[in-house]
Amino acid sequence: MRRLITAEFHKLFATRLWLWLLLGSVALTALYASLAIAFGDTPDNPTPSLASPGGQRTVFSVGQGAGTLLAVLAAIGLTGEFRHQTATTTFLATPNRGQVVLAKLATYALVGIGHAVVCIAVTIAIALPWLNAKGIQVPLGGNGIPATLAGVVAAVAIFGLIGVGLGALLREQVATVVGLLVYLFIAEPIVTRIPALDSWTVYLPGAAANALTQVAQANQDFLPPWQGGLVLAAYGLLLATAGTALTIRRDIT
Amino acid sequence: MTNEEGRIVVAGLTKTYGTLRAVDGLSFTVEPGTITGFLGPNGAGKTTTLRMLLGLITPDAGTATISGHPYRALPAPNDQVGALLEASGFHPARSGRNHLRIYGTVNGYPPERADQVLELVGLAGAGRRPVRGYSLGMRQRLALATALLGDPRVLILDEPANGLDPEGIAWLRQLLRSLADQGRTVLVSSHVLSEVQQLVDHVVILHRGRLVRQGALGELADRQAWVSVRTPQADRLLATLARTGVEQARIQRTGPDQLRVIGLDAAEVGRLALAERVELHQLTTEHSGLEQTFFALTAKADQQPDSPLKEAS
Repeated sequence: MRRLITAEFHKLFATRLWLWLLLGSVALTALYASLAIAFGDTPDNPTPSLASPGGQRTVFSVGQGAGTLLAVLAAIGLTGEFRHQTATTTFLATPNRGQVVLAKLATYALVGIGHAVVCIAVTIAIALPWLNAKGIQVPLGGNGIPATLAGVVAAVAIFGLIGVGLGALLREQVATVVGLLVYLFIAEPIVTRIPALDSWTVYLPGAAANALTQVAQANQDFLPPWQGGLVLAAYGLLLATAGTALTIRRDIT
Repeated sequence: MTNEEGRIVVAGLTKTYGTLRAVDGLSFTVEPGTITGFLGPNGAGKTTTLRMLLGLITPDAGTATISGHPYRALPAPNDQVGALLEASGFHPARSGRNHLRIYGTVNGYPPERADQVLELVGLAGAGRRPVRGYSLGMRQRLALATALLGDPRVLILDEPANGLDPEGIAWLRQLLRSLADQGRTVLVSSHVLSEVQQLVDHVVILHRGRLVRQGALGELADRQAWVSVRTPQADRLLATLARTGVEQARIQRTGPDQLRVIGLDAAEVGRLALAERVELHQLTTEHSGLEQTFFALTAKADQQPDSPLKEAS
């Protein structure tokens, strides 16, 4: 298993895609952090003020946005085996196909942790001096911020599982990537803005990630953090298990 | 047979896609130390068979083993079996060397092994370039390098000559011959008989998913030999041959002064002609190209109307 994971990292680092998507996530994180701080205390903004622990947690949660592009990276990693027809060689080397998928799940969860740590560093580099300039002292070890940061790491890692699992289910690279982007960037943000649907939209993956990282948003309810974590983990495990089962059963032609 | 090492055994292998029976109760064996040609027209089921043999496609019925085990039960398959399959590719942005090192890592081979096989297939100079810049022939060489990575004793190659120029094909022949001479098992598929004719010792001929013929190449060629005779007295020679007990059906008149005699050798025909004082202008033994035999065998299989399943054309 160790050799399989090492090989997956070789595959990942043989091209630069991981770096471009990491830069994308860094840019998104910087943008979200800046928006959260710049507009966090405008008078008509109903979110908690930046001086409050809730407001600070929301600022420090923005790194979880890296989950979307990480899921895309993971999906490309898996579907690429079929797109470039390397699946044959891969499964000839490791006929136990479940182990191959497991190695990819582990690899992209680890890469997710890496991306999350980088995005957290970016968040801190932007938020600490900026809030300081506003006269707000943020205790990184308090106000529930460590739990939020741990949530960011967990959420991004789980999005890696979601990407691998969905890729294994669909196999088709373009469909998987477009599906992920449209769902996470467009579809889910729209439906979660409909208050009438709140009772079930709280269980959607993006909302669950928000809950896990303790985002506070106007006009939107979230599950308690631990429940959000469980729901998100359930998506990851469900997709990973279904994708693995299907990969084991289907013919490689 | 006690020594299973290196032997490929296919028994009753069957795979159906919808109404198409791609492989139909196929059985054959491949022995170590030989190069066996796995032949059949396109769509005969060669690739499906090889993919079943390699555990990539699950058969509906039957078994396929290598060294006595199904591929998926081999403990370290790449150490024992190297395969080159059609529709197996490379990530275009990876270099050939990286491709080999990735699969070397999976198998626990040292990184130098990648350079050794690159050298072996003549790609040492191109190893660090991304595969997207490779020609078809270079990709085929890289696929062969991947198959050779584990120094396997069994090689299964699906249309390995595809994309190679004549020089490359000659090189491939030499390489495979030296591998077989080392006692390895080499199974090579092709839909073009002439491509492998000078390479293989044995043939397994497949048509519409069924075994048409299995045997040594020599036997297959000898089946179709005849004596070609040119004489201005064709009628007399024909009458003579008929009188001396050669069935009429086995003498064909191929021209006004030309006969084809099947079942007698040139010396016998010459002796009979001399005895009858028939003037001969030409007396030669001819073999059908193996290609014709191949066509004849696969055409014969076509006429058997016993399969209820129709092949989509």
